[in-house]
Amino acid sequence: MSMSTPLSKPQIIAHIQKSLNYTVFDSKWIPSSAKFVCLGNFPRGTGVMQIYEVQHGEAQLVKEVEKPKPIKCGTFGATSLQQRHIATGDFDGNLNIWNLEMPDVPVYTVKAHKEIVNSIDGVGGLGIGDGAPEIITGSRDGTVKVWDPRQKDSPVANMEPVEGETKRDCWTVAFGHAFNDQDRCVCAGYDNGDIKLFDLRNMSLRWETNIKNGVCCVEFDRKDINMNKLVATSLEGKFHVFDMRTQHPTKGFVSVSEKAHKSTVWQVRHLPQNRDIFMTAGGTGNLYLWKYEYPAQRSKKDADGGDVGVAGSISLLQNVTLSTQPIASLDWSPDKQGLCVCSGFDQSVRVLIVTKLNVV
Amino acid sequence: PQNSVPNGRRNLSKCALPRDYREWDKFDVEKECAKIDENVVNTDPPAILNIGYPKIKTKVDVSLLPQQEKLLLANREKDKGNEAFRAKDYGEAVAYYSRSLSIIPTVAAYNNRAQAQINLKNWHNAMKDCQRALELEAGNMKALLRRATVYNHMGNFQLAADDLRMVLRDKPHNATATQLLSEVEKKLSESRPEQQCKGKKILIQEVEEEDDNSNNETTAQQTTCPVQPSQPVGGEESSATPAERGDMGNAQKKPHGRGDGGPHSESNNSHHGHWRGKGGSSDKYKVTQESKEKVANGSSKRGSTASVQGDQSGSGKGTPVGGNAAETVNLDAPCGALPPPLSRLKNEGNLLFKNGQFADALEKYSQAIQGYTDTGLDSPEDLCILYSNRAACYLKDGNSQDCIQDCTRALELQPFSLKPLLRRAMAYESLERYQKAYVDYKTVLQIDISVQAAHDSVNRITRLLIEQDGTEWREKLPDIPLVPLSAQQHRREEPPSTEVLQARAEKAARDAERKAQIHFSALKQDGNDFVKKGLYQDALGKYTECLKLKPEECAIYTNRALCYLKLERFTEAKQDCDAALKLEPTNKKAFYRRALANKGLKDYLACSSDLQEVLQQDPNVQEAEKELEEVTVLLRQSLANASPAKPRKTVPITEVEDDEAITAVPNSESSYRGENISINLQPTNAYDFGQSLNAARCSRNTAACAELLASTAPEMLPQYLSSQLDGHTISFIMEALDSHLLEKDPTLVYQHLNHLHTADRFSVVLMLLEKDERHHMTQLFEHLSVVESTEFTKNDVQNLANKYI
Repeated sequence: MSMSTPLSKPQIIAHIQKSLNYTVFDSKWIPSSAKFVCLGNFPRGTGVMQIYEVQHGEAQLVKEVEKPKPIKCGTFGATSLQQRHIATGDFDGNLNIWNLEMPDVPVYTVKAHKEIVNSIDGVGGLGIGDGAPEIITGSRDGTVKVWDPRQKDSPVANMEPVEGETKRDCWTVAFGHAFNDQDRCVCAGYDNGDIKLFDLRNMSLRWETNIKNGVCCVEFDRKDINMNKLVATSLEGKFHVFDMRTQHPTKGFVSVSEKAHKSTVWQVRHLPQNRDIFMTAGGTGNLYLWKYEYPAQRSKKDADGGDVGVAGSISLLQNVTLSTQPIASLDWSPDKQGLCVCSGFDQSVRVLIVTKLNVV
Repeated sequence: PQNSVPNGRRNLSKCALPRDYREWDKFDVEKECAKIDENVVNTDPPAILNIGYPKIKTKVDVSLLPQQEKLLLANREKDKGNEAFRAKDYGEAVAYYSRSLSIIPTVAAYNNRAQAQINLKNWHNAMKDCQRALELEAGNMKALLRRATVYNHMGNFQLAADDLRMVLRDKPHNATATQLLSEVEKKLSESRPEQQCKGKKILIQEVEEEDDNSNNETTAQQTTCPVQPSQPVGGEESSATPAERGDMGNAQKKPHGRGDGGPHSESNNSHHGHWRGKGGSSDKYKVTQESKEKVANGSSKRGSTASVQGDQSGSGKGTPVGGNAAETVNLDAPCGALPPPLSRLKNEGNLLFKNGQFADALEKYSQAIQGYTDTGLDSPEDLCILYSNRAACYLKDGNSQDCIQDCTRALELQPFSLKPLLRRAMAYESLERYQKAYVDYKTVLQIDISVQAAHDSVNRITRLLIEQDGTEWREKLPDIPLVPLSAQQHRREEPPSTEVLQARAEKAARDAERKAQIHFSALKQDGNDFVKKGLYQDALGKYTECLKLKPEECAIYTNRALCYLKLERFTEAKQDCDAALKLEPTNKKAFYRRALANKGLKDYLACSSDLQEVLQQDPNVQEAEKELEEVTVLLRQSLANASPAKPRKTVPITEVEDDEAITAVPNSESSYRGENISINLQPTNAYDFGQSLNAARCSRNTAACAELLASTAPEMLPQYLSSQLDGHTISFIMEALDSHLLEKDPTLVYQHLNHLHTADRFSVVLMLLEKDERHHMTQLFEHLSVVESTEFTKNDVQNLANKYI
C-alpha cells in the first residue's frame, strides 16, 4: 500500500539557521520544551553554554553562560523531567551537572578524566530506563566511566585497559539494554575501530569487534529495551547496523553496513518515536535519513546448529546537504516527532523539520 | 585489538546501586578476564538470545508522577510496543502495551495488545482486550473487527458475523470486514463440518500509532503495511494466501459454488441425479420424457444449446431443476449434436470428473475432441463444451497453461460463455497474471453478476493490482470486452422460486409505482405550467389529481396552496400549508404561504410568527422580511384598535415573482423543480448545478435532469460534479441520458459520457455501483452503440464503454 510518489517521502526542511560566534560541539533539546542548548568553545579558549528558544520561526537566545573550559558534550539522559539538569563533559576532563535556571555553579561536579571528555550519555532519567540514573563518560585518557549523580567523587564503574596496554582514545559512548532495573549495557567506540560492549550487570566485557576505522559515534536504537540494534559510524564514511538480539558465541552479532557521506560519518541519532528510523550526519555537511528493515527471520541455525543472527537491510529515505563543513552533532526532539537540531563546524546551529515520518 | 577490561572498582559506599549487590559478588572478575585473555572457548556456549521479554516488568509505578508525564510515558511505552510488533516480537509488544496500559488505559493500547495477542494465538486474552476496548469506547471499529477475528477463530461464527455487520454498518466499504464476513458467512452456511479452510487467517494487522489523532489511522495502516508487497508483515498473512487459493479450488467442488459446478453435462446436477437414482429408476438406459424432448431438439442446434444452457445455469446455481433428466449413469445419453460414440466419451468424462479422476476425464475429453475433428461435425456449441470441460480437468490438475489454451479455444467458438471464462480467470490468477484474470472475472460478472467467486476474486485481485501497479493500475489493464445483452444471463431458464416470484411481484409493484410516478409527474408538470401561465383554477385541478395519486407529496400541497392564495381562497390555502407542514415540518415555502394565507385571513399574529419562522430558517428571504414589516404594522394597528383590524385595503398578493425569488434562493427542497430547473437551466457553477441535479434526483425527474444536461457543456460536467459524484448520481444521469437525451441528441450523450468518466472519484464510485445501477449503464451503452452517427464510431462507444463497465 505504500505509494512511492516523490511527495510521500519524508522531506528534510531546514527551518531555522543561526550563526554563532563560537565553535559549537554539541546541541541538545531541553525535554518538554521548545528550547535547546548549544555547547562550545569561544575563540578566547573558554567554554560556552547557550539556551535558545524556538519562537515564531526563529531561534532566540534566552541565556548565555561562559565557563572556564570549552564544553565538548552534554546529555539530559539522567535527569528527571521536572528538573531537567544537563550533564556536560569539558576539555579538562570534568563532568558537571547544571541547573539551567541557575547555571552559575554546577549542582554536581567531578574531575572525571585526565583528558578531554569526548562523549557523554545518560540513562534512568526522563522516564527512560528503570533503575538509578547513571551517566557515562568516555575520554581521550582511554577510560569509560559510569557515574551516579547522587554519589560524589568516584565512579560506579570504570572500564579501562589493563596495565601495560596502550590506551586508545575513546570517542563515543552509549547506554543500552536498560529494559529492567538490573540489566544495563554500555557501548564504547575507540579511535582504532574497536567497539566494546560492557555488561554493567555482570561487570564484564560482553562483546567486542573492530570496524577497521575510528568509531565516531555509537547508539542503540532504544536505550530502555532489550538491546535490539546498535549503529556505529566510522571515520571513512561507513556505518554498521548490528542486530543485537542474537549473540553467537564466536561470531558475535551480525551487522549490515552502508557507505554514505563519502567522508566521516560524525553522528547517528535514532528517531525517539520510531527506533527503526535514524539519521546520520556527515563530514561534507549532509544528513542522511535511513530506515532499517528487519529480515523475515532474525536468527537462523548455523552449520553447528547454534543460533546466529540475520541482518536486515537499510534503505535511504532522504538526504540533504546543509553546509560544506561537517555536521558534528544532531539531536531529535523527544517531544515533537520530526523536529531536530544540528550544529556544525561552520559555526551555526540549525533547526530542521523532517516530514512524513509517520508514514514511512 | 587491544583488550580493555571493565575494572570492577566498585565503591560500596554508593548509596543506591542500580543492581543487586549479591549478583556482583557472584561474579568472578578474574575468571572472566582469564577467559577473555586466553580467548579459550572449550565448548561453544549457546548463543545469547536477547529476547527476555518475561524479564520486562509489565507494570510501571507512576503514582508520584504528574498526569502530563504519565501521558508521555504511556505513549512512549505504546510506541515501544508498536516497534516490537513491527519487528514481529509479539510477546515483547504485549509486555510494552501492558506497561502502557498500567500507566493509562487507552483504547488504542488495548486494541494493539489484542492484535498482538491474536498474532500469538492467545484468543482469550485477545478477547478480553477487545472487550475492554469496547467498554472504553462502544462500537470502536478496530476492536469490533478484532473481536470478530477472535470469534471466528474460536468457532463462534454467529457472533463474528454480528460484529462484522456492525463494522460494515458504519464503514460499508471496509474491505477486511467484507472479506472476513463473507468467509464467516460461508462457514455459517456450511452445515456440514467440512471445513477445508480451517486454518485460514485473515488478520487485521495495523497498529495504531496514536488514536487521538483520527487522521492517523490510515497512516498507521500504511506504517505497518510492508513496503515491498512481496514481504508481508505477519507470517500469518502470508499463510493466508495459499489458504485462499485452496479455497478457490474448493469453491469449484462445492455444489453450491455458483457459476462453476463441474463440467457441463446433461446430468451434472449431482443432487438431482442422486436423488433420482434413489428414486428407483432402475433402468439405466431409460430415456425420460425430458431427454426425449432433447433428442427431438437435438436435430435443431438452437434448441439443444438452449437446453444445455438451462442445465448449466441450473446446476451452477444449485437450485433443484425439475427439467433436466438423463440418469447420472446413462453414459449413452445424447449430448447436443454429438454422435453417440462422442456423446459416450463425453459422458464418461463427466462421470470421471465427478469422481475426481481428472486425468482420466481429461483423456476422454481429448478423445471426444479428436473424434469431433475427425468426423468434421459442425456444432461449435458442443466443441466449446468439450474444450471447457477439458479445461476444467487441466485446472484441477494445476495445468493452468493448457487450461487457458482450452478456455481460449472454447471462447473462440462461443464468445462470452460463462464457464470457460471463469476457468480461464482462475487459471490466470493461479499463474499470477492478475490483469488478465481481472479482465476475465469482470467479463464473467457482466454475464452473470451473481457469481460470488468472481466478486471475491475481483476484490482480491484489485488489491494485488494496486500493490503491483500503483494507483494507476486501471490504466494498465487490457480492455475489458463489453458483453452484449444477449449474452447476459437473466436466469430466465430457472423455474420461478418463491424468491423469484416475490422479486417479480416487487418488480411489478415497482413498475406500477413507476407508471403512477410518470403519470404523477405529468400532472404536476401540467399544474406547474398552468401556474406559470396564471391559470390557477386549472392548476388547482391538476394538483388535486396529483394528490389523489400521491397524498404524501409536500410540494404539491405548497403548490396548491399558492393557487388557493392567488384565488384568494385563504382557508383552503392554509389547510394545504398545514398539510405540507405535517409532511415536512420545516418547509419554508409552506410557512411563507401560510403566512400569506393568515394575512389574508387577517390573523396577523399567526402570519407574523410564520414569517419569523421563515426568516429564522433563511434570513435572506427579503419578501418575508418585507411582509413581516407590513404585517407588524398591521398587527400593531389591530392591537391598538383592540378590535378586529379594519380592512383598509385588500392585501395585494404579488406572489408570482416572489415565489420564483424564493425558489431561486438555494435550498434543498425539491418542490417546484420544474421552475427550479427552468431558472437554473444555465448553471454557472458547481453549486447551482448540484442543486438542480439534486432537486431533479430527489423527485426522480429524469426529464428535468436531461434538460439540465442538455444545457450543460459536456466539458464542464466533471467540474460541476466536482467531488459530489456518487453511485446514485451516476446511475440517475445514465437513466436521464438513456430515456430522454439519447433520442434527441446522441452526440451530446456521447460527449457527456466522454467527459463524465474524468470526474473526481469516478473510478471509486464505479466500483461501488450496485447491480441495477450497472444495468442502467450497460443499457445506455447498448443503445448508444446502435446509434449511427458521424461524430463517433461504434469503436469509440466500445472504448468508452470499457471505461465504464
